[in-house]
Amino acid sequence: MGQRGTHSVSLQVFRSGFQKRVGRLALYALPLLFLSVFFYGPLIQVISRGFSLDQLSKIFSSPYMRHVLFFTLEQALLSMLASLFLGVGLAFVLAKYEFPGRRWLKSLTIVPFALPPVAVALGFVLIYGKNGALNQLLMGLLNLGEPPIQILYSLPGIILAHAFYNAPIVARFVAASWERLPVRYEESALSLGAPRWRVFLKVTLPLLMPGLISGATLAFIFSFLSFPAVLAIGGSQFSTLEVEIYRRAIIQIDYSGAAALAAVALFFSLLSIFVYLQADRPYRKRLHIVATQRRTQIFKNIKSLIQPRYLLLNLFMTGMLIFFAAPLAGILIDSLTRQSHGQMSLTLDWYGQIFSSKYSALIAASPLQSVLNSLTFALSAMMIALLFGTILTLLMLRRRTRGQAALELLLMAPLAASPVAFGLALLWASAQPPINMSGAGAVIVIAHSILAVPFVIRAMMPALAQFDSKLYEAASALGASHLHNSLKIVFPLIRGSLATGAAFAFAISIAEMSATIMLAQPDLLTMPLSVYYLLSSRQTGAASAMCVMMILVLIFAFVVIDRRSEPSYTNQRIIEP
Amino acid sequence: MPQFSKYLVLLLLVVGLLLTDESSSLSVQQSGPLIIYTYSSFVSYGMADVVAQAFRAETGAEVRFVATADSRAMLSRLIAERDARGEAPADLFVGVEVSDLHIARRNDVFESLSVDAIPNLADIPEDIRFDDEQKLIPYEHGFITLVYNSEALKPADAPKTFDELLDPRFKKSFIAIDPRTSSPGLSFLLWTISKYGDPGYLDYWKSLKANLLTITDSWDVAFDLFTRGEAPIVASFSTDHAYDLIVNGSEKNRILLFENQAYRTIFGAGVIRGAKEPELARKFLNTLLSPEVQSQIAETEWMIPANPNAKVRLIWSENIVIPSDPVLLSSEAVSQNVDRWIEQWVNAVLIQ
Repeated sequence: MGQRGTHSVSLQVFRSGFQKRVGRLALYALPLLFLSVFFYGPLIQVISRGFSLDQLSKIFSSPYMRHVLFFTLEQALLSMLASLFLGVGLAFVLAKYEFPGRRWLKSLTIVPFALPPVAVALGFVLIYGKNGALNQLLMGLLNLGEPPIQILYSLPGIILAHAFYNAPIVARFVAASWERLPVRYEESALSLGAPRWRVFLKVTLPLLMPGLISGATLAFIFSFLSFPAVLAIGGSQFSTLEVEIYRRAIIQIDYSGAAALAAVALFFSLLSIFVYLQADRPYRKRLHIVATQRRTQIFKNIKSLIQPRYLLLNLFMTGMLIFFAAPLAGILIDSLTRQSHGQMSLTLDWYGQIFSSKYSALIAASPLQSVLNSLTFALSAMMIALLFGTILTLLMLRRRTRGQAALELLLMAPLAASPVAFGLALLWASAQPPINMSGAGAVIVIAHSILAVPFVIRAMMPALAQFDSKLYEAASALGASHLHNSLKIVFPLIRGSLATGAAFAFAISIAEMSATIMLAQPDLLTMPLSVYYLLSSRQTGAASAMCVMMILVLIFAFVVIDRRSEPSYTNQRIIEP
Repeated sequence: MPQFSKYLVLLLLVVGLLLTDESSSLSVQQSGPLIIYTYSSFVSYGMADVVAQAFRAETGAEVRFVATADSRAMLSRLIAERDARGEAPADLFVGVEVSDLHIARRNDVFESLSVDAIPNLADIPEDIRFDDEQKLIPYEHGFITLVYNSEALKPADAPKTFDELLDPRFKKSFIAIDPRTSSPGLSFLLWTISKYGDPGYLDYWKSLKANLLTITDSWDVAFDLFTRGEAPIVASFSTDHAYDLIVNGSEKNRILLFENQAYRTIFGAGVIRGAKEPELARKFLNTLLSPEVQSQIAETEWMIPANPNAKVRLIWSENIVIPSDPVLLSSEAVSQNVDRWIEQWVNAVLIQ
């Protein structure tokens, strides 16, 4: 130690001072450069192409376009409310109760979100259609002449489909907030005599706000940017902004019109991100890592299922399970059966088809190739998003008051950017340098990673914000190397958030279709695109089989990655009823 | 804050290598196989295999199809890709419908063909040669009309005229198709324009709204919903009855001819300007028009073959329905007015 120790410390101080700054600059510059070249650059190109007062006035003077804009906002708001309603209910159950399969259920919340919209539409038609399973069941049981459930091809149907997608995400975010809630606040209030509803309103709700705001904003944005679920569930009368952009660019070959709409979509999206960041700000306090959460055990055995005390809860859970499982079950059954001459028969042909390596013109690739492509793209995008997202989170956490808000807006923008417009932007930009130097597959990976970055940021933020650098400095002072510090101190503490970020990035890449459809070429197909093409050529069996594959891939990814995200150091007290 | 730059550089090198993977370049065309863009049913119903085989037998050349959507969407995709990349992404396009001729012309997609290059063209009758610039040659034709499910709707109750279709008893019973995104959809719209005139057709559609179950963006989706029993009436092809009978052994699908009318539909194919293999492409078109290949069209495409020398089975010709008074608006009229017609239709029908 002695002399040698002092010498190395002073050298270290000198070296780390200078190297630190340069290193840090390089660190932050890379992801920013990445975003500029592949996100902002192309988008600005698209907007400048469409942003003329002439084009804008054309849009706002057209009664149809005003209708589309209004409808897009209307359905997004209603879908957000529906998702909040269902999501908070689900979150409550996930946070407050313990039952077999709870952690599985929590992991599975990502599955509806990542399903291809057209597959969800198919599932809905199979179950909730006029001639769907539910109507057939009810008509048979109650001897009805007309199908009682007619929700498809209407606004309620669309809202329901959006709730299917977004309620689990809301549930996930709100449950995460709820679990970290220090129970002692509620317990104190109760012990001081406050009625339950007051405790909820004044104590619980404010503490849940971060999760609620995140969940609500995501639900709004995803519903706002919905494509093509609205077409498949509703029909052409329920077109949204995103659908219009796609139709104009690809079917009607009206590029300036598409670009103008993209600019409008971007404006609304940025506005919603801005609102989200503003609303979230006052709640961005340091949350305690160690929370004592109380969970009540239910569903321990069959007897507990029918206890009157938990009747409402059980009904709610059963209803939820049916709502979410039914369309998925419909898809599963569709993938295993074949209809011919009015008869249904079991078959594994569809699965045989999707694992074929033979080129299929219907998807312009071999099915097996599209599965491999999806996996490759997802793993690559996940790594890039994780890397850049973490760096950007560090950037966002630096204590800087000037420009902080603007920086946040810029970094979170990919979250709300219209994926169709983004895909279009990349498509046009990939004809010129520097993008035309990378392969088309790389452009797809880049698109996916950019879309995933905001999610990684959101996942890493709490962990990195709470990271106590004193731990790091203490270890350094004791002689630990950087590597040792990273591996043994930093990593274990942020592992959970890394896992969540990785899982989300992976899922987003697997599920991404709107941007990919603009960039796809023969042989570069992904699974959701294959599903889309197969469904549009009425190969529903093969499409359903591909969907089931996607679900399995997602479940696997989440079992492997996401199960580690629940803080293992949370004290849990399980209460027996 | 910790300094990770060393490890980052390493990681970024790896990532950089991933990004510059040249194995999938932006240029699609490979030398050798003929690349053909077409609609998905051309492949899924089997015609693509038929022609590819005959072509391979004649020339030894391979063919690769790309058929991920319906005819209108594929045509638009072809144009969009060409514009984005600055080169023709394929050699041939099979499936330009007569109502979409203006799209092909406005975007200058195809090159002119001569009878010398395509000898079999001489057999094709004049009345279905819809392109006087001779860039698109017809290979099949048929009729767009209404098809109904006779198990859900008794033949006696089925509508006999356009006006009868407006009856409240058909509330939410009709699946229409968006003319902005689908050729059969546009054909049906044009039929109503021919019947009720401009702007009379708008009043018709406003009254029809209540009876629409939904408006789908392609015929494929509309027909799928119809087959699943979501609604008993759909705009579709007059060969659907023959299809149901011969393939499914069922008489469920029935054809409605309003006042013995239906709207003509003709499908053409053409060589794309800038194609890498124009010679081979012209040979392919010749194969497509040959009597042997054309004889397969009836029971794969379920359309009427363009070449009158093609053979068809008696059961097929007896059960396809041909109107005595087919309707077809002139290409000039369509080209001049279609944008305005569609915009008016959109404002009348799609705004609640």
